[in-house]
Amino acid sequence: MLPLSLLKTAQSHPMLVELKNGETYNGHLVSCDTWMNINLREVICTSKDGDKFWRMNECYIRGSTIKYLRIPDEVIDLVKEDIQAKAKNRNQNQNQNRNNNNNQQNRGNKNNPNQHRPNPNRNRNNVNINKN
Amino acid sequence: MENTAHLLNEIDKKLMILLRDGRTLIGYLRSVDQFANLVLHRAIERIHVGTQYGDMERGVFIIRGENVVLLGEIDREKEEQLNSKLTQVSVEEILDAQRREIESKQEKNAILRQRLKQRGINNNPLLEDNE
Repeated sequence: MLPLSLLKTAQSHPMLVELKNGETYNGHLVSCDTWMNINLREVICTSKDGDKFWRMNECYIRGSTIKYLRIPDEVIDLVKEDIQAKAKNRNQNQNQNRNNNNNQQNRGNKNNPNQHRPNPNRNRNNVNINKN
Repeated sequence: MENTAHLLNEIDKKLMILLRDGRTLIGYLRSVDQFANLVLHRAIERIHVGTQYGDMERGVFIIRGENVVLLGEIDREKEEQLNSKLTQVSVEEILDAQRREIESKQEKNAILRQRLKQRGINNNPLLEDNE
């Protein structure tokens, strides 16, 4: 899982963002994009020396100013679940497609006993329907 | 791919990462992308002062690639040899030692700046107090 995908998975979780200038922002991630620009909610900003604090309801941080983000350990566990769920879905879809293909083959054989292969175009349509 | 510099071989290894601000992180590299953004798992931040060091647990990092100076795998054998020369101390102790080190460096720089000024050399960028 790529770093930016992990960041997306961490949406709605609390995190700490340190900027290149040393300021840190603690808040909940609302959204992020492929440039690492982020929106935070319920933010506490801490100055570089850790002696001044500001509270704000929301803030937007330009990705290029970020040094690093620290995210909770649970997010890594979420990723593992995510990957497992996706693998499961994929298997189910594959099985479904296989069943549909078999059905079609049977039907084709009934209508025309001399036809050994199902129409490839029909087959393709079927796959698309399943995806949707 | 053999002749290109890439990080895929380092995935899931225990690495030491040096950031541009001078901080040292140690943890397991879980992921990288084309910008060398890194995901570091079970990370600690290690502070060295002289022959002492202290560790702080930091969890999971997403590091923006441009802030990385270098990274490398930690050799377990050499790590053990080094441990006979270095001593681990508590977080409070190492932070205190670090603070004292920074203060003494700043004092030295202030004196040096003053002496240079007396000789007509002003604003040497190497002697400024930022880290």
